[in-house]
Amino acid sequence: MNMLSLQHFPIYSIMVLFLGAFLIVVFGRSKVVRHSVALLATCASMLFMMGLIKPVMLGGEIISYWMGARVPAGGYAIGIALEVDALSLFFGLLVSTVVFVACIYSIQYMSHDDNVPQYYTLFLMLAGGVMGMVLTGDLFNMFIMVEILTFAAVALTAFRNTVTGALEAAFKYLVVGSIGSTCILAGTIVLYAQMHTLNLGQLAALIPGNLTTSTKLAFALLFIGFCTKAFLVPFHPLAADAHGAAPASISVLISGVLTKSGIYGIIRLTYFLFQSMGLGTMQFWLVFLGSVSMFVCVTMALAQHDFKRLLAFHSISQIGYVLAAVGLSTALGISAGVYHAMNHTIFKGLLFLAAGAVLHETGTTDLGKLGGLSKKMPVTTVMFLVGAAAISGIPPFNGFASKWMIYQASYQKAVESNNIGFLAVTICALVTSTLTLASFVKVTQSVFFGQLPKEYENVKEVPFGMRLAMGILAALCIVTGLVPNYVTRFLTEPAAKAVYHVGAYINSAMGAGYAESVMQTVPVAAEPSFVQHGVWSPVSWLCLLMIALLALTVVATSAKYDKVSLGEATDTKYQLFYGGEKNFYSQVGSDDLFWGFKHNWRHYFSFMHELHSGVVNDYALWAVVALALATLYALVVL
Amino acid sequence: MFKNLIKESTGKSPWLFHINAGSCNGCDIELVSVLTPRYDAERLGFKLTGSPRHADIVVVTGPVTAQSLDRVLRTISQVPEPRCIVTMGSCPQSGNVFRGSYAIAGPLSKYVHVDVDVAGCTPKPEAVIDGLALATKILAEKRGQME
Amino acid sequence: MALILQALRYLVYVLVFPGFLFCFMTGLLLCGIDRKLVARMQKRVGPPILQPFYDFFKLCGKETIVPAAANRTVFLLAPLVGLAALVVIQLFIPVFRFSAFNSIADVIVILYLLLIPALSVIMGGAASGSPYAGVGLSREMVTILSCELPLLLVLLAIGKVVGTALGTGICFSLSKIVDYQMAHGSLLGKLSMIPAAVAFLLVIPGETGNHPFDAAEAETEICEGPLAEYSGAPLGVYKLSHAVKMLTMTSLFVALFLGGIGTGIENLMFQLGLSGGAAGAVAFLLEILVLFLLCAVLTFLTISVVHAVTARLRIEQLFKYYWTVVAGLALISLVLAWYGL
Repeated sequence: MNMLSLQHFPIYSIMVLFLGAFLIVVFGRSKVVRHSVALLATCASMLFMMGLIKPVMLGGEIISYWMGARVPAGGYAIGIALEVDALSLFFGLLVSTVVFVACIYSIQYMSHDDNVPQYYTLFLMLAGGVMGMVLTGDLFNMFIMVEILTFAAVALTAFRNTVTGALEAAFKYLVVGSIGSTCILAGTIVLYAQMHTLNLGQLAALIPGNLTTSTKLAFALLFIGFCTKAFLVPFHPLAADAHGAAPASISVLISGVLTKSGIYGIIRLTYFLFQSMGLGTMQFWLVFLGSVSMFVCVTMALAQHDFKRLLAFHSISQIGYVLAAVGLSTALGISAGVYHAMNHTIFKGLLFLAAGAVLHETGTTDLGKLGGLSKKMPVTTVMFLVGAAAISGIPPFNGFASKWMIYQASYQKAVESNNIGFLAVTICALVTSTLTLASFVKVTQSVFFGQLPKEYENVKEVPFGMRLAMGILAALCIVTGLVPNYVTRFLTEPAAKAVYHVGAYINSAMGAGYAESVMQTVPVAAEPSFVQHGVWSPVSWLCLLMIALLALTVVATSAKYDKVSLGEATDTKYQLFYGGEKNFYSQVGSDDLFWGFKHNWRHYFSFMHELHSGVVNDYALWAVVALALATLYALVVL
Repeated sequence: MFKNLIKESTGKSPWLFHINAGSCNGCDIELVSVLTPRYDAERLGFKLTGSPRHADIVVVTGPVTAQSLDRVLRTISQVPEPRCIVTMGSCPQSGNVFRGSYAIAGPLSKYVHVDVDVAGCTPKPEAVIDGLALATKILAEKRGQME
Repeated sequence: MALILQALRYLVYVLVFPGFLFCFMTGLLLCGIDRKLVARMQKRVGPPILQPFYDFFKLCGKETIVPAAANRTVFLLAPLVGLAALVVIQLFIPVFRFSAFNSIADVIVILYLLLIPALSVIMGGAASGSPYAGVGLSREMVTILSCELPLLLVLLAIGKVVGTALGTGICFSLSKIVDYQMAHGSLLGKLSMIPAAVAFLLVIPGETGNHPFDAAEAETEICEGPLAEYSGAPLGVYKLSHAVKMLTMTSLFVALFLGGIGTGIENLMFQLGLSGGAAGAVAFLLEILVLFLLCAVLTFLTISVVHAVTARLRIEQLFKYYWTVVAGLALISLVLAWYGL
């Protein structure tokens, strides 16, 4: 077999990352070596993934790779497999791209830290774990990879262990993360005991015909396990702590990549293994969880006064969007969901990098202490504004493109199924989007605008490498927002179609004809419809806006709009108006900015405040309760 | 054409900013009465603004106490050109009954160029409107000189 | 050649009608009418109808001071972006049968595009560095939050009603909504749409930031909030944006609820025995006139009367009012629409 055939690309893209981690342990003393190894490994991983776009995304192929060429024999898959269909590849592409960008950013961001070789080792382990998790075709392998990524993430959370709360955050993450991993292991065991196989394709073929109480229990266990990885409600407090303490480049991975692995797991579990596409109770379960996550976390974010914690809560809120959209079980919904997953990775990555830039220069992320940085860090400000506009769903950035599809998908679902419940999702999504905007207005005002505190007068713009990383993500934000048609056609629709082609996935793993021989009814791969009722063409809108702005600028310059009077702060004329008083430092910002809103919701907010005690025992208890509820739901209702 | 429009309009839309420099509140009340239905200065385009940056005409009432002097001057400097300064009542012109007090830094004309003085304690609303109309004319002239 | 003509036509759309010139004239005129009417209701003579024009041109001739603490680029650019975005929205709102661009954005997108002008005020205020602006922008944001929920409920209800009638399930396209009304009478005639129309009318003063929902720009307490540090031409642009927003919101109401009036104009042409190109031109001019009159009436109803008889609400009262009373009305309408009334 040719070593460079496409067949090998998936394993290469995982292997280079782990190999890089190993090499850095051995030779990582030298700065040049560790940087070049990390960059090369992540870049190679990304290129291998990109090489697969043509056959998998456009050609609709499913690439199966058997370690040691141990292909299934006698109807049992004993070997370890990698199965790359469009869904896996979609997430693989996301992961490898963001890992590469985070790696570029790390080089200058981590330059002042100790133990940098260990950082890169763990970084690559985390990346490799997620890549393995999304590309594998084997349930037990999935568990292994989840373990690797969880422990790498825990270690990285505590990496800056001199920061207050880093160890505490890592400990919380360790406890609840372990509960999640245990759930996945237990679920895997239950399924293996039932089906005598661990291959995802074979499980998908066997489970629908043998839905017993124990498979349902396995479903609940696996589902809760993946929920902890995606930090969905009620696991959201962990994410806030972890993001607050971890270096920004790691926050990018935790929010952009690790949560996606959870979402990927949930999609595989519900739509492949249990094939519950048309099941109303399952739709309710997913959509309800998604909507609750999106609303609860956005309100939690409004109450935060730390830049990174705020972003952390938003990250779960956006994951809620993804889950709610995917849970609609329509082709448009799944397409919209994975589109939003992609966009979330991009814009949240950008926002975390901007937060990291602020932390790097000022040493704090406390919204109450910052202010007026836009004059000192103009590039970071612009990048942040792009990210903030994208996450708040301001046209024409990418967040709007995908949220727009989610609104339509949920509303269409409501109308088609004549179920007013799905309407609540649309309304919830629209309101959440506005609340997101509110909380980013707060960050903009508190960090980048307003007045500059005295101690930050010597702050400089971040170095080139960090600006480059932010620039790449900002450009992606704009591009994917401007051409939603191309993104859906080449990336998200193939991924959504893959969810419908379960039969093809099974046959690709187990050999042609296997699905038909085992299952009574092979899920028919009907051509899913992606019709959208809405009208939105961002490029034309942007052209019109540009023409309008150009016309305005011409008029404005002819009216001497640009001839403004500028002066120094020593001249009273150019000082701010304080009702006649002398200027003093007065920054309006931080967590109480939207008093008018929060006053009306004060009972809700004080309830939430009481609830989030910050004690790990409570959070572990929540995990157990969630597991119990999921089990109950799975056994009684599903 | 644009220049002509600006020139035409400058005299038709004077916005007021009111500074109380230690006034007894008599003039302040009277200034507000100018905008009430009976006298309705808005028919001439007058409008009270909340920020000196928006204003064309600054109306100063009160004898300019030592405490307020610094604030008055700072606020006046923050009004964009062209601007007019109108003193209302006798206090900012002469100090009125407070003249000679250790607490008074006035009259205002010692510190800035005052365009119109409206005398009286308090001036009648008709007098105030007359003074403001005069100030508006001066404003249009100043705008013409800016070119 | 045809391509150049096409491009020229689009340019006329953007610059003249329904773009800049139209927005500028009608917006400021509406603002003038509003001020005059409020004055008349308070038994005052009131300013001339053209007063907003004088104000705008006067501001253009003033000095533009940029405070030393401000971020200059954002401070100067924000008003222009806001105005441009607002004018582009106006291009998507059909004038009865005529619509300049109908396949670019629909109502829900317009709801989001309407955020951009509001954000331009917020960004400009934030960039000025003034604490008054800080307080003002926080109130402005809460006002946006308040208006967003009722407005989107109204739009969802309309989408459902028209979609059901057209058999497509959902319909958000503005030109289709207007076409439907031309064929089947205005949406205001439907029972389910009456609460929605009332809710929309109540949203208009909130969206435009008029009395009593102007807590964000309360000149007597926080020195005009986000605009505290603006002077000269940028301030003029903001005042213009405010006027254009009145036009946008009222003409959106006309397009959504009163589109059926266009049929009346058509019938009138028919009865007068006019036909051909001349009739088309006359009808078109008549339509613009009718639109303007309707906008003026709506401005009177929603902005002037409310302004004359109420006092300013505090920001948390404003939020409560919109999320209970107005959103409740809109929700009733949505539920009625859902059950096909």
